[in-house]
Amino acid sequence: MAEVRALGIDVGSTTAKIVGIDDDGRIIWHVLEQADPQVGKQVEKFLELAREVTPILSVPIEGEREIGVPLIATGYGRKLVHQATRTVTEITCHARGVFRELGHGGTLVDIGGQDSKVIGISPKGEVVDFSMNDKCAAGTGRFLENTANRLGVHLDRLGEVTLSTVEEVSISSTCTVFAESEVISLIAHGVATEPILKGLHRSLIKRVVAMIRTVGLRPPLMLSGGVVRNPAIPQILQEETGEEVIIPRHPQLMGALGAALIALELVE
Amino acid sequence: MTAENAVLIPRRSEVASAFKQQGGLVAAVLPIHYPRALLLAFNILPMEVWGPPRVDVSLGSAHLQPYVCSVVRNALSFILGGGLDVADLIMVPHACDSLQGLGSILLDFLPPKQPVIPFYLPRGGSQQGEVFFAEELRFLYQRLEEIAGISPSNETIMKSIQWEEVADELLARLHKQRGRLQFKDHDFYRLIRTREYLPAEDFIDIAQSIFDADYEGQQEGIPIILSGIVPEPMGLLKTISEFGARVVADDLACCGRRLYPAGRSEDPFFRMAERILGGPPDWCRGSPIQDRLDHLHRMIDATDARGVIFYNVKFCEPELFDLPDLRQGLGDLGVPTVSIEVDISDPLSSQATTRIEAFFEMIR
Repeated sequence: MAEVRALGIDVGSTTAKIVGIDDDGRIIWHVLEQADPQVGKQVEKFLELAREVTPILSVPIEGEREIGVPLIATGYGRKLVHQATRTVTEITCHARGVFRELGHGGTLVDIGGQDSKVIGISPKGEVVDFSMNDKCAAGTGRFLENTANRLGVHLDRLGEVTLSTVEEVSISSTCTVFAESEVISLIAHGVATEPILKGLHRSLIKRVVAMIRTVGLRPPLMLSGGVVRNPAIPQILQEETGEEVIIPRHPQLMGALGAALIALELVE
Repeated sequence: MTAENAVLIPRRSEVASAFKQQGGLVAAVLPIHYPRALLLAFNILPMEVWGPPRVDVSLGSAHLQPYVCSVVRNALSFILGGGLDVADLIMVPHACDSLQGLGSILLDFLPPKQPVIPFYLPRGGSQQGEVFFAEELRFLYQRLEEIAGISPSNETIMKSIQWEEVADELLARLHKQRGRLQFKDHDFYRLIRTREYLPAEDFIDIAQSIFDADYEGQQEGIPIILSGIVPEPMGLLKTISEFGARVVADDLACCGRRLYPAGRSEDPFFRMAERILGGPPDWCRGSPIQDRLDHLHRMIDATDARGVIFYNVKFCEPELFDLPDLRQGLGDLGVPTVSIEVDISDPLSSQATTRIEAFFEMIR
């Protein structure tokens, strides 16, 4: 394996990711885990793993920051990563990561567990505008997670079950909690699981589309974040926008990759 | 150096008590525009009420819809909780529907112990608007006569206007020369917001002492413009400084939108009308969005600002109606913007901080 020259860590609300890149900015190592509320402990664990995988890697440790490879932290927990050389917001890091992966600008939609964001990226890879939904769970992965639990569908099967039907019921509540109540009511009235799930997905995507319109859609449309694993999300996003949805190879690692790329600039 | 070190900034409650001890009255005044000079001619001190932040909002929430902004919600809560008991009257300018609603609630449903005076502003700055406004001021004069029991002459009102004009001229100089003053943003806004409650003469003394100090510095940082209603929570200003930026001009309803020019008319009522209607463009006087856009653009040109932060109070409908067009218009001119919505009762959230930080990363 090539030498890790820079590290990026993305401490999200649902998952934490660390990425190591080589001189050319390629991902050569990464770890992705469910986020631990004890961020410091998880970061320490990540750094230990980094030492194991790349013996020549000298990661920054307290008091010896100057001898290690640079580490940039991003994500909502970035300020808790005390080992970081610097912190950078997830907006900048996601834009950097996706530009590196796809090689073009456009509009990036990132749907995370607890927030979602839309980032306008210039042809040179610069952030030109952004919008975040961070006060309400209705436009986030948590919305689906909650309701999937209520419907007894495992998260990994959510997309498959959703796409298995052409029928759909409209979910009128935009609030996650009220939507759950609405789902219970629909089940009680004998509505099948699949159309409910499809309606829930559409409800989430409509909120994301409103954010896209706030920023202004600059094609192509790109999608990242944990919910990309659910195939119903890109499909319904495509239906709602009329734009082909492009997904990078590592959709969950874009923030950490962007952070590592910024760290690499420090080396250079 | 902080504002406290440089000048003594008196607290609102102290100023109100001192004014009353000298035989004056105090008027609690809701946002945004009102004739300060007329009140002071009656020896009534206007004490502006922009919320305030950090009050028990449950008192007001019991009487308001959930989508009413926190400035109005907090004001009603503050009144119901006795926070404005020091005031001898409450004035509610009809700046927006929520403030008009607050006026109605106070007049019809929850009358406080003080008289409540609603006050109407004309939409649009035409000559007819000036005539209407001067009439409205004459009507207000009659109400104040009843409350204060005195009838100030035109000469007394004119003198009061002239004090206000001097104070406003110094306020405008402070705004313009802020980059050379010794204040960080947080302290600068604490200083200029004393205009919300200090008599003109006292503000003039403070402003003059700052210019007399003859400080010749140059503030560093990414220059940005702040637009919105009120810089609350004021932690925002510290956050801006921490991220290496500085506010070089503002389009805030409580600050930059009240840089009134001097009047020309010899009639005091027309002169007060001229001044208020001649201020920077503002939705509550019906200014076209294009005027607001042009005003922002002129500020950007004059200050080399790199972007605009729209810092809005959540549910402030008139402000939010203009927002998409303002952002689009500035975007077309290549000016980056970001929109942050806050509730003035809450501390600045980490999400809001992230947006501000990301915005600075974008324009750096």
